[in-house]
Amino acid sequence: MLELEEMALVERPEKKKPLGPLFWLCVGWIALNIFGAIFANVLPLQNPLYQNYSAINVGPSLHHIFGTDDIGRDIFSRIVYGSRVSIAVGFGSMVIGFGIGAPLGMLAAYRRGRFDTILTTFMYILLAFPAIIATIAVLSFWTPRSVFKIILVIGLASVPLVYRVIRTATLSVATKDYVIAAKVQGAKDRRILMKELLPNIAPIGISFLLIGIATVIALEGTLAFLGLSVTTPTPSWGNMINESRTVLQQNPWLAIFPSLALCLFLLSLNFIGDRLRSHFDVTEVKL
Amino acid sequence: MTDARQPLLKVRDLKVTFGKGSHAVSAVAGVSFDVYEGETLGLVGESGCGKSTTGKALMRIVEPSSGSIELDGADLAGLKKGGRQLRNIRTRMQMIFQDPISSLNPRRRVKDIVAEPLDCWKTVTGHDRDVLVSDLLSKVGIDPAVYGNRYARQFSGGQCQRISIARSLAMRPKLLICDEMVSALDVSVQAQILNLLEDLKAEYGLTLLFIAHDLAVVKNVSDRVAVMYLGKICEIGPADALYEAPAHPYTKFLLGAALEADPDSPMNAQVLEGEPPSPMNPPSGCRFRTRCPNATEKCASEEPQPQEVAPGHQVSCHYPLSITRK
Amino acid sequence: MTDVSEKLLIVEDLSTTFATAGGPLPAVANISFDLGRNETIGIVGESGSGKTVLSRTIMGLQPRTNVSVTGSVLLDGNEMVGASEDFKRRLWGTEVAMVFQDPMTSLNPVMRIGKQIDEALRVRLGMSKQDAKARAIELLELVGIPSPVQRYKAYPGQLSGGMRQRVVIAIALACSPKLLMADEPTTGLDVTIQAQILNLLDELKERLHMSVVLVTHDLGVVATRTSRIVVMYAGRIVEIGATRDVFANHRMPYTRALLESSPKVSNASHTRLITIPGRPPNLLKLTQGCSFAPRCSYATDKCHQERPELQAADQPGHSFACWNPLPTTRGDSAT
Repeated sequence: MLELEEMALVERPEKKKPLGPLFWLCVGWIALNIFGAIFANVLPLQNPLYQNYSAINVGPSLHHIFGTDDIGRDIFSRIVYGSRVSIAVGFGSMVIGFGIGAPLGMLAAYRRGRFDTILTTFMYILLAFPAIIATIAVLSFWTPRSVFKIILVIGLASVPLVYRVIRTATLSVATKDYVIAAKVQGAKDRRILMKELLPNIAPIGISFLLIGIATVIALEGTLAFLGLSVTTPTPSWGNMINESRTVLQQNPWLAIFPSLALCLFLLSLNFIGDRLRSHFDVTEVKL
Repeated sequence: MTDARQPLLKVRDLKVTFGKGSHAVSAVAGVSFDVYEGETLGLVGESGCGKSTTGKALMRIVEPSSGSIELDGADLAGLKKGGRQLRNIRTRMQMIFQDPISSLNPRRRVKDIVAEPLDCWKTVTGHDRDVLVSDLLSKVGIDPAVYGNRYARQFSGGQCQRISIARSLAMRPKLLICDEMVSALDVSVQAQILNLLEDLKAEYGLTLLFIAHDLAVVKNVSDRVAVMYLGKICEIGPADALYEAPAHPYTKFLLGAALEADPDSPMNAQVLEGEPPSPMNPPSGCRFRTRCPNATEKCASEEPQPQEVAPGHQVSCHYPLSITRK
Repeated sequence: MTDVSEKLLIVEDLSTTFATAGGPLPAVANISFDLGRNETIGIVGESGSGKTVLSRTIMGLQPRTNVSVTGSVLLDGNEMVGASEDFKRRLWGTEVAMVFQDPMTSLNPVMRIGKQIDEALRVRLGMSKQDAKARAIELLELVGIPSPVQRYKAYPGQLSGGMRQRVVIAIALACSPKLLMADEPTTGLDVTIQAQILNLLDELKERLHMSVVLVTHDLGVVATRTSRIVVMYAGRIVEIGATRDVFANHRMPYTRALLESSPKVSNASHTRLITIPGRPPNLLKLTQGCSFAPRCSYATDKCHQERPELQAADQPGHSFACWNPLPTTRGDSAT
């Protein structure tokens, strides 16, 4: 729109849309979940492993607000404890994915040349393998499964994806005049990467990070559903949904509450990521 | 007149080639000139003539493929890319870019942008740094108290160019290369920036290489002017003499095509036909011969060498136009 | 000449206001002017002056939402303001056509240029395939494209900027419009190419008996190519008149500032340019006075409080909007 361009030339105002109450509601929800996951031991919750045979498949009540499962465990308590696995896997594997993928992506896009060519080719070969099948294959052989192993496998599998997004984002920034200008001022490479490139890539990185966490948590749910996540009786949102399959007729609550927890958490993360993306005006890169 | 002064920058047979083999494009095909201390040399030409590439090669933003660049007697072209010596040159030689908005990081504060060279070199720190930054900003007409903490993305093109100038002056360079620095600006803003540049040139004792496509702008700021066509300099001389009596046919056409804001100016009596040939496959001999009305066989077979037609006025043409002052 | 029916375009009290997050933005306000047949008028202004919005409003090309247009644009007797898309579509191409600033974005990069010209001819004029091709080649020749038969099959990417602009002009001329709107047609082109394109426009105007509206920021472009010019500032006309009068006898300080701040080839080296302080106003925060007053050295209290209307100058057809106009330099009227 030329008109808008012309208007923009008259004055370039700080056009910040407010993030809105829904955004903060989502942030609050995520914070509450994380708080619950960290302090589950301290909070007045029932033992998630205690099997109360006098209360099997009970619906929501004052004593068990989400009801109990088919061997009398408190669902609410299991959901709070279960969030530990989901959140740990989500954040943990993204720490690994970004820890390796982001610096490599930035360096490759900034240095270009042979370093970039070799690394990018390698990453694209990795991308050609379906990551989910690879993850499933590794996890089904690498027993006994633990949260740490799951984080490591998913984290490594996400490296090429993170690399690609960060590299593309960096490429669009690295050719800008201000990067050349910084070089001309005499700035060293590390300074250019930290001061000129990073602040401009960070918004893209953060939105991708949030959406990445959500994707990984969903992936953990899928793995758990297939019986490839942490072994029972440790609860996770995914394996709770998996266990509920057999008793769906008698006790639908067992399926509804963990699904709801998973859905709301993912929805909030995606919404925050999307909101931040439009807030920071990230349009150059498709996630 | 100019001979008495020392050349600050000496460029000899500078070549820049992009690509390899049959795809090679020689963007700059052997350019030689001097820039004397304290003067402004205008480098003018149409798009694709290699004027911007020349400026970038001098700054080593693009790598020259051959030739020598001497700043104050020290050779730059031979310095290792990314090396310490090349980095040291950055304090003495600075550049201002064409796009004022994209040459400033939108996510940094104006104060930090101007302080960038100081922070890189750690020459001035702490309170002195802040004082110097405020001083630089006031010099370019940006109130540091009001605007210093704003982000670069909040400024208009003209203001961004002012901030760029302040940044480039922080290390007190001797040579400033201005690459089309006013071509993205409105007329009234352009005049402000040009005047500012002249003031700062006097105050900081700068030497300027002013690269632009606009003949009128170049004339207004330059002591001497070099005209480029297809990677080569075809004419170089004192600005007034060159504009008044161009010796190269291309210069004459270029001046004839320049539009004057005057209804009585002659309406392009002679318009240069055709378009410049591709630098991938330049014509033999004189590069302008394919569009030149005076071209002969000699022009196709033999490349014209620079010859002096008046003191300090050189032209690369077998048949220079007669220089008879009106 | 002054007979109303002789006028091809009559713009009256035209205003275009955009609804933005920051409030109504009057991009074009109370513009009135007319254009005779076979006449070229120049619209001059800096960025943000509203010249581009004005040319698009005349074409009826404003966006569908968040914009209100009032006033009247009478194009060869057809009212464009408030007309339906269908009605306007019938006029586009045959009555009025537009040449945009950037030939790369106004051409479809994946379509042969011949096809792009053909399309207009076949859809609009219902020509047969062969006729359309013959006419397209004729048009390419008309706009000075060498070896048009071969170029007919070229893609836009294979042509230089100047050649692309010629193709854009050929497309605009396909249905023989009576009015050609040229919005910065030579910005971004080299001086020698710019001269070629301007000469071409001039020549075509005479040959095809068209009228041309030449929108530009460059006073040099309009100086010798137009019979009259309109100087715009902050969405309004501040001075209008015969080109010679506006250049030589301008009364509005902004016009003078614009003329004096542009560097000239004939200036000596290191000529100090006369500048206007500040920059164009924010259209969202216009005051009730003259928009130029904050930057004007002649401004008085009245200028800040009351907006000057256009008033007639000595020469016929020359008017300006200023409370403290510059004195006339020449007594004789130039026309």
